[in-house]
Amino acid sequence: MRILVKFSCTLLLGAMILSPAEIQPPGERPVSTGAHALVGGRTIIKPGVLIKNGTIIIRNGRIRSVFETGKLPIPPDCRVWRMDGKTIYAGFIEPYLSIGDDKANPVSNRWTVPIDARSSINFKGVPTTKGDMGDIGPGYGIEEIRPQYKVSDTFSPNEKEFSALRELGYTAGNLIPTSGIIRGSSTSVLLGQGDPNNLILDPSTLQHMAFSPAKNYPKSLMGVIAAIRQTVFDTIHYQKMRTWTEQNQGLSRMKYNPALAAMENVIAPDNKQRVAVETGSVLMIARTAKLSEELGFEPIIVATGQEWRRPEILKKHAFDYILPVTFPAAPDLPDEMDWNMVSLDQLRTWDWAPEIPALLSKNNREFSFTIHGLTSLKPYRKNIQKSIERGLTEKAALTALTTHPAKLLGMSSLLGTIEKGKLANLTIVDGESWFNSENQVSGVWIEGRHFPNHSTPTKTEKDAKQKNVKLEPVTAKNPSNYRGVLKNPTNIIIRNATIWTSGQTGILSNANMHIKNGRITAIGPISSLPDSPDTFIIDAKGRHVTPGLIDCHSHSMILGGVNEGTLPSTAMVRIGDVVNSETENIYRQLAGGLTTANLLHGSANPIGGQNAVIKLRFGELPDDMIFKKAPAGIKFALGENVKQSNWGDDRKTRFPQTRMGVKTFFNNRFIKSRQYLEKKNNPQMGNNKPQRRDLELEAIGEIIEGKRLIHCHSYRQDEMLIFLRTMERFGVRVGTLQHVLEGYKIADEIASHGAGASSFSDWWAYKFEVYDAIPYNGSLLHARGVSVSFNSDSSDLARRMNLEAAKAVKYGAVSEEEALKFVTINPAKQLRIDKWVGSLEIGKDADFVIWNGHPLNTQTLCDETWIEGKQYYDRSKSAARAKAMADERKTLLTKLRSNGKGEKTELSARALFFRQALEKAHLLNNCYECKKGKP
Amino acid sequence: MRTLLAFVIIASFAKAETILYRAAAIHPADSGVIINGQMLVKDGEIVAIGTKLATPEVFREIDLGKLQVYPGLIAATTSLGLTEINAVRATQDTSEVGEFTPDVEAWVSVNPDSELIPVARANGFTHALVAPMGGTVTGTSGLIKTDGWGVEDMTVKSRVALHMMWPSLSINTTPKETMRDPDKFKSPKEQAKQREKKLLDIDRFFDDAEAYAKARKQDAAFKLIPAWEATLDVISKKQPIVIHANYEQQIISAVKWSKKRNYQIIIAAGLDAWRVGELLAKNNIPVVLDNVFRLPQRDTDPHDINFRSAGILHQAGVKIAHSVKMGNWGATEIRNIIYAASRSMAYGLPRDVALKSITLHPAQMLNADSKLGSLTKGKEASFIATDGDLFDIRTNVKRMWINGKEVSLESRHTRLYEKYKNRPKPKGLRQ
Repeated sequence: MRILVKFSCTLLLGAMILSPAEIQPPGERPVSTGAHALVGGRTIIKPGVLIKNGTIIIRNGRIRSVFETGKLPIPPDCRVWRMDGKTIYAGFIEPYLSIGDDKANPVSNRWTVPIDARSSINFKGVPTTKGDMGDIGPGYGIEEIRPQYKVSDTFSPNEKEFSALRELGYTAGNLIPTSGIIRGSSTSVLLGQGDPNNLILDPSTLQHMAFSPAKNYPKSLMGVIAAIRQTVFDTIHYQKMRTWTEQNQGLSRMKYNPALAAMENVIAPDNKQRVAVETGSVLMIARTAKLSEELGFEPIIVATGQEWRRPEILKKHAFDYILPVTFPAAPDLPDEMDWNMVSLDQLRTWDWAPEIPALLSKNNREFSFTIHGLTSLKPYRKNIQKSIERGLTEKAALTALTTHPAKLLGMSSLLGTIEKGKLANLTIVDGESWFNSENQVSGVWIEGRHFPNHSTPTKTEKDAKQKNVKLEPVTAKNPSNYRGVLKNPTNIIIRNATIWTSGQTGILSNANMHIKNGRITAIGPISSLPDSPDTFIIDAKGRHVTPGLIDCHSHSMILGGVNEGTLPSTAMVRIGDVVNSETENIYRQLAGGLTTANLLHGSANPIGGQNAVIKLRFGELPDDMIFKKAPAGIKFALGENVKQSNWGDDRKTRFPQTRMGVKTFFNNRFIKSRQYLEKKNNPQMGNNKPQRRDLELEAIGEIIEGKRLIHCHSYRQDEMLIFLRTMERFGVRVGTLQHVLEGYKIADEIASHGAGASSFSDWWAYKFEVYDAIPYNGSLLHARGVSVSFNSDSSDLARRMNLEAAKAVKYGAVSEEEALKFVTINPAKQLRIDKWVGSLEIGKDADFVIWNGHPLNTQTLCDETWIEGKQYYDRSKSAARAKAMADERKTLLTKLRSNGKGEKTELSARALFFRQALEKAHLLNNCYECKKGKP
Repeated sequence: MRTLLAFVIIASFAKAETILYRAAAIHPADSGVIINGQMLVKDGEIVAIGTKLATPEVFREIDLGKLQVYPGLIAATTSLGLTEINAVRATQDTSEVGEFTPDVEAWVSVNPDSELIPVARANGFTHALVAPMGGTVTGTSGLIKTDGWGVEDMTVKSRVALHMMWPSLSINTTPKETMRDPDKFKSPKEQAKQREKKLLDIDRFFDDAEAYAKARKQDAAFKLIPAWEATLDVISKKQPIVIHANYEQQIISAVKWSKKRNYQIIIAAGLDAWRVGELLAKNNIPVVLDNVFRLPQRDTDPHDINFRSAGILHQAGVKIAHSVKMGNWGATEIRNIIYAASRSMAYGLPRDVALKSITLHPAQMLNADSKLGSLTKGKEASFIATDGDLFDIRTNVKRMWINGKEVSLESRHTRLYEKYKNRPKPKGLRQ
C-alpha cells in the first residue's frame, strides 16, 4: 500500500511539472519535418566499426541511413547538423536503472538474522497457508514475492534524473523494481520527456530476483533460496490446477493468483522472461546456476565486485552479466593506528575492483555496465576508464554500453547500433572518445529528438589541479594462492607410526599404513607390509596417526545466517545451499586435525533447516566440499531457544512458548507430513487433484520415510524423553541428540531408542536448562552403551577436538582409545558415514592426521592433515603462509596510501572500502562471548 | 554435646598440628621440581620444603604416594560468585551502571553458595580475584579463597585493585547503509572526537581524584566523598589498576596514560598484547591473558597466534598470568584456565613459566605473594595434589588444602555424577 501511495504522489507531481508546456497556444511554432542529417562526425556504427567521416540520416525518429559523408546525397528536407570534431555512438542503454525516491540499494550483505518471529507467524508453519495476505492485495503469501509487479504501472519520467543520465550519454534505460525477493518486471523506457506512454519501449522486459531478506519470512540467505524454490513449485502446481479445474469443473474452481501467473513467464519452456538476479555474493552466482537448472529459469547475473575471489565461477557458468562499477576508494582514517584494522581482504577487494570488467572479458563473459550502486554519477566514467587502464578493451566497454544491454533487454532490433531502421538514439561526445572522461558529452538524440547538454563542463578548476592518477596494475593475490592441496601423491606409505585406528585393530604401535588413490589399502605392523619404490613415504617415527577428526555440530562455514529463525518449522531451508568455502575457519580447523564437519542450522525453531556434512577440502567450491555420500539430515531443537525464553519480552507470541507446545508442534507437523506422504504415494486420491509440492512437508516426510536423520538440539531429560517417544510413535529413530546435556539422566532410554549423543565436553550454566550439565555426561552415556561424540559448536573449539576427547578420560575415566572415538568413529556412525570415514581401515578414505605426539596430550601439535590422500595442512609451511599474507597486506597498504593520494573520491566509495564481502562477513559475528552465550 | 566438644578439640588440635606431606613430586613454582619431595606444614604455614626434612618430635605424616603437589591455583580476573546462570538476569551481579564507580566493591557480593565456586575448586583453584564490570572505572576487586562459610570467611584480601575498562578506540567502519541502525552512524572524524573525549574524561576523573587525595592528606576533616576515597590507594601507589583492554590501540593508550600519571597498572584481556611486548616489558607492566582460546583477530594473523601470545610476551620480558574472561561464561570456565596455560606451553611458553602464570604471577600481580602463589617457607599451605602432570587434561586433582585445611573437591557436577551413575536400569526398556 505504501508503495502505491508513493507512486501516485510522483504521478501527481509529474503532471504539475509538465502542465506549462501543454498550455502553449497551438500554431505558434511550425512542426518540424523530423528529418535530420548529422554530418562529419566520427561515427561508430557499432563496437569496432568506425566511419571516420560519417553522415547519419534521421527521419521520423528512426535512422534512415548511415554512410561515409559524400557517398550519398543528403535529402533536401533534412536539417543539417555539423558534427566535426565529435564522435557519435549508438545511444547508451542503462539496463539496471532505478531513480529518485525509489533508488535501489545493492542487496545487503549483512544478514543479521535475529532470532525473530512474532505474532505474524502462524501455527501452521508456512506463510503461504495464511488466510489474509495483509494489505497488498492478491498475490503470494510472502509479501516480498511479487513477480506480478510491473514498473510500467507506476512509471512517470523524472526529468531531473533523466537529464543527468543524458548528460552521461544515456538515451534509454531499463527501470527495475527495487525491493523484495522476486521483485517483478522491469520496464525499458526512453530517457526523454513527455507522455509516459510514448516513452515506454517494453513494459515488461526482465523479471527480477534478489537474495535479500524479507520482513517476516525468509530472513536468512538459505531461507530466501528456499522461498524462491517453493514459489516455482507453486507455479507449477498453479498450472496443473488450471488444467485439472478445467477438466473437473463441477468439483473445484480455479483460484486466481497474479504472482504465480506472472511466474509462468519465467519458467515457460520457451521464450521465457529472463531473470536478473542480484546475488550479493560471488558464491551465490554458482548457487544461482544450480538453482536455475533445477527450476528452469534463465538468469542474468548482477555482478557483485567480488568476482575476483572465484574467477572459475565466471568461467564455468555462461551467464550474461550486469556490471556495476562501484569501486572502493582509500578511506579517510583519523589516526595512523586506525590503519591497523584494515584487513588484507579489504585491500585485495580494493585492488581487484577495477579489474573485474577485464576479468569478465577474459573469461568470455559479456556484460552491460550499470550505474547501480553509485550514489553519485560523478565517478562513473572515470571508473570505466580505470577498467580500461586495467585491460578492458574500448570495444568491450562500448559493447557494455550499447549492443549488450540492447540484447539483454531483447531490443536489438531497436537499439544498440547506428543502423538503418533502428531508433535514432545517439550519444555524441566532443573529441575522439567517450572513454576519456575529460571529453564532454555534447548531447544525445532520443528517437530523433535532440537533447543538448547544457550542463557546465564537468571539469571544475579544482578538478583541473588534480593529478591525473594513473592506475597501477593489480598486485593483490587471489585467495587460491594460499589454499588448496599441498601434496597429492598417488601412493603413500606412512612408516613407523603409532596408529590409532579407531577400528577393530585398536592402537597399533610401530605400524605402517598404505594409501592408494586416496584410499587406505593396507595397515598393520611393518613386517607384514612391503614398501614399493614409487611411493611418497612419510616417516612417522615417534609420531601418532589418527583418523581425521569429525565435528558433529558446526556452524563454521555458513553464509548469510545460521538460523532461519522465523517460522517454527523451516524444514525447507538447506545449509547445503549456503556453504561458505571462503572462510579462513577451514584452514584453522584443518590445522587442528579436523577433516569432516556436520554443518547445522541453528536452534531458533523446533524444526530447523536441513544440514550439510562437508569435508574440509579447502580451496574447492562449496558443492565440491559436500560429503556427497552422507545421508541427508535436519536440525531440530527443544527447550529455551525454540520457546524464545531468552530473547526478551517481545518474543512471546510464536507457538510454541512452552515445552508442552514443543511436543504438540512436532506431533502436528508429523501428522500433517504423514498425510502429505499419503497423497504423494496415492496421487489418485481426491479425484487426481494435483498435489502442491511442499518443501517443508516433503523434508519432514523424508524423516518418516527413514531417509533423513534428525539432529536434535536438546538439554533437559524430560524434553528429550518425550521427544524420543513422540518420534517413536511415527516410527522414527532419532539420529543424534545434540548437546544432550542431561542425557546422562536418561542414558538407558537413549540407548534403547538408539539415538546417538553428541555433547559438549564441559559447557554449563549459561542458561537455566544447562544448570545440571556435567562434564561426566559423555562417560556416563558411554558406559550405558550410547554412541557418544563430543562436538564443538564453536569455530574456536573445532581447532582442538582431540583435547575435547581427552576430557572424557579426565571426567569418568573413559579409556584413551574409546575417548578418541568420541571425535572419530562415533560421530561418523552418528552421521552414518562410518563406511567411509572415522577410522583407519582398509578401503576407507585416507582422511588422517599426523600428530607430533600422543593425540590426547595437551602438548601435542598437529603436524599434517590429509583428506582422501591429499595433504591440506602442513605445520611446517604454516608460518610462511601467514608471513606471505602479512607481507602482501603491507605492500597493498602502501600502495593504497600512496597511489590514492591527490585523487578526489566520493564519500560512498570510501565507505565502500569497508563493506565486507558476504563470504567474509562471518568475521563480524566472531565475538567469542556472544556466540558462546547462546548455543 | 560430647561429640561437639570432641570436634572442637580435634579442630583446634589440627590447627596446632605439624604435618609432613610426602609426594612423588612437589612443584613449588618458585623453584625447580622436587622429586620425592617433602613439605612440613605447621599452623597452616609452610615451615620447610625439600627432600629430607628435619621433623619435630610430634608430627603427623601424610603420604600422598604417587600424587604430585602444586601450589593452589589462582584465577586472576573473574566474576566468580557474582553470577550463576547467564540467561537468568536475577542471578547476575557482575556489572554496575555508571561510567565512574570506583567505590563499588566486588568481593562483598560473592554468593558463597554459588555452584560455580566448587566447580572451579575441583580442578585446583584455591583462590580467585573477583572484580566488577560496568562502565569505565568499575570499582575495586577482592581476592577470595574458594572455600568457606561466608563472604567474610572467604575474603583473603580486600581492595586488591581498581578496575578500568579502557574505552574502545576502534573506529567503527561499517558503512551507513549496512548498519543495523543507520541513524547511529558516525563518521570516522566524529568517532575520533568521541574517543578523544572519553580519554579526556578519564584524565579529568583522576585529576579530581588526585586533588581530593591532596586535600585529604592536608585536612583529615575534609568532606568524605566515597568515590574519590576509593581511589586513594591507587594514587598513593599502594594499589594497582587493572586495565581491561584487548586491542593494540587501547593497550598503547593505556600504557602511555599510566606513564604520564605514574600509576601502577596491569593489562587484563590483552588480545593484542603480543604486538606490543617490548613496550610492556620496558614499562614493567604485567599482563593477564584471557584470550588464548580465541580466533585470530586479523585475516593476516597466523592461525595459532593466540596460542603463541603468552610465549611471545614472555620472550619479550613481560610477566604473564592466564585467566578467563570476565562475566558468566568465564566464571563457568575457570577450571579450564590450566589448559589455556598448557596451550601456551605447547606453543612456546616454558613449563616453569606456565606454572607461574596460574600461581606465582597472579599472586605477585595482586600483591598476595607474601602468602600465596608458591610453596615456600613462610607461605600459606594452600596446595593441591594431582594424579599426574597438572597441564595434562587427563590428570585429576585428587586433594586440596587451603591454608593448611583440607577441603572438599565435591561439586554439583560430582554429586550429579554419583547420583546418576548409580541410577538403576529402568524396567521394561527394549534393548
